[in-house]
Amino acid sequence: MKLVVVSAGLSVPSSTRLLGDRLAAAASAGSGGGGGVEVQVVELRDLAVEIAHNLTTGFPGPALGAALSAVAGADGLIVVTPVFSASYSGLFKSFFDVLDRDALAGKPVLVAATGGSARHSLVLEHAMRPLFAYLRAVVVPTGVYAASEDWGAEGLAERIGRAAGELVGLMGGGGPSVPGPPAPGVGVQVGGFEVVPFAEQLAALRSP
Amino acid sequence: MQFGIFTVGDVTPDPTTGRTPTEHERIKAMVAIAQKAEEVGLDVFATGEHHNPPFVPSSPTTMLGWVAARTENLILSTSTTLITTNDPVKIAEDFAMLQHLADGRVDLMMGRGNTGPVYPWFGKDIRQGINLAVENYALLYRLWREETVTWEGKFRTPLQSFTSTPRPLDGVPPFVWHGSIRSPEIAEQAAYYGDGFFHNNIFWPADHTKQMVELYRSRYAHYGHGTPEQAIVGLGGQIFMRRNSQDAVREFRPYFDNAPVYGHGPSLEEFTEQTPLTVGSPEQVIEKTLSFRDYAGDYQRQLFLVDHAGLPLKTVLEQIDMLGEEVVPVLREEFAKRRAAGVPDAPTHASRVAAAAAATAEAGQEVTAS
Repeated sequence: MKLVVVSAGLSVPSSTRLLGDRLAAAASAGSGGGGGVEVQVVELRDLAVEIAHNLTTGFPGPALGAALSAVAGADGLIVVTPVFSASYSGLFKSFFDVLDRDALAGKPVLVAATGGSARHSLVLEHAMRPLFAYLRAVVVPTGVYAASEDWGAEGLAERIGRAAGELVGLMGGGGPSVPGPPAPGVGVQVGGFEVVPFAEQLAALRSP
Repeated sequence: MQFGIFTVGDVTPDPTTGRTPTEHERIKAMVAIAQKAEEVGLDVFATGEHHNPPFVPSSPTTMLGWVAARTENLILSTSTTLITTNDPVKIAEDFAMLQHLADGRVDLMMGRGNTGPVYPWFGKDIRQGINLAVENYALLYRLWREETVTWEGKFRTPLQSFTSTPRPLDGVPPFVWHGSIRSPEIAEQAAYYGDGFFHNNIFWPADHTKQMVELYRSRYAHYGHGTPEQAIVGLGGQIFMRRNSQDAVREFRPYFDNAPVYGHGPSLEEFTEQTPLTVGSPEQVIEKTLSFRDYAGDYQRQLFLVDHAGLPLKTVLEQIDMLGEEVVPVLREEFAKRRAAGVPDAPTHASRVAAAAAATAEAGQEVTAS
């Protein structure tokens, strides 16, 4: 199974990346360790310029293109953002703005965020969850928020473990079944595309 | 293989002088570009269609009719004709009329248009874009091939016993290209009818163009029009040339950096690497254009965008001179050398009339034989 971590942390090292790594490690361990989960990390900081260019040109540069493909091809995602102005960061949102809008349909996504204070913890529920619900992802019930003080307090490890366990379950590790992408209907697969045969496209317009 | 010019028809300030041409100047510049294309031996001139500023070409057949009267050999085309918001009946009439006046030197490229407000201005809904393209073209196709059409659809008032006039020249409709950048439905539509597929790749990386062209080719064969290699493919490309490549880069950079379509994003160098944009010597343009074949296969039509980014007319005409004198003759020769056996030329009116006559003769023989 392929797990991709999308981290929007900006500093190096960043607590956002750290939270992403902790969640990925817990998911790997939860799947029985070994080679069960292949983890790839996408650092949005490295893609910031290509993301901005994609907004102006309409197409991704090479590194961003590879990252978007990795996300689209993943069996599950861990997405982590720092809280900026009471929401996810603009960089984080821009990445999902340039992602194909069907890329996350039916995909398990664990939402996580970091912030300077626990007062922003509901960012998971009022910003992250609606975004991924819109993208038709299956959002893991437990989200993980880590404020600065959480890194030295009890409870974070348990939340990480619970969220990672739920993610692994949804990724096909024995948990509830994951709804797949929307039914293909009458389409046929040609190359990388799904094509509705033309006669059917035309007939659909003629039926009352 | 056909080579030509396509133009968007934008009114863009020249960033080096700050001067914006008037609409009148721009319209006259567009037809001067077309006449220059004929003069230097290019095959095609295609104009865009737009219904909002800063674009001027809202009435393509008017413009192409003017060009037709002043040229002898140039094929007049569009890039694109809006099959979504135009009435297919009016497209059938306008382009058949143009076809007669131009003695058959006409084809056209269907496109949907991506400007949201244009749809409601013409009483349409952009969310129905694909469906409009499908239904409207199906009607247009019949209007050009059937003398009397009785028709009912979702988007237009029904037709009872309607005859579109004038009938196409020699009973052969203009060849149709379907232009699309990222909609597999349109590649499918082009393949279904055995029409041409034009991928306007100018702002897209090669791997995307390759996928779209491959989809069209495979569906073209699926519908029994020939092998995938025989499908009719067109590509775009935008260029700026000077004898010396450093001079080209130096002169074009301020245009690139400030043009609405290019500027304030990736650098000129990044854009050149990732898209068909070539800024350099004629040799570099030749090399880059020949490389399109590596991912699109043998193709039939190459259109260059030369009047971009607010370049003054004089500079644009110099570009077309260089195309005609130094670039296209080499491209013709080199593409011909590389082309696989059995790959057809782009259809022209003459070749389509001949094909229609051959088909009729064959049908006659079958009748005689049976």
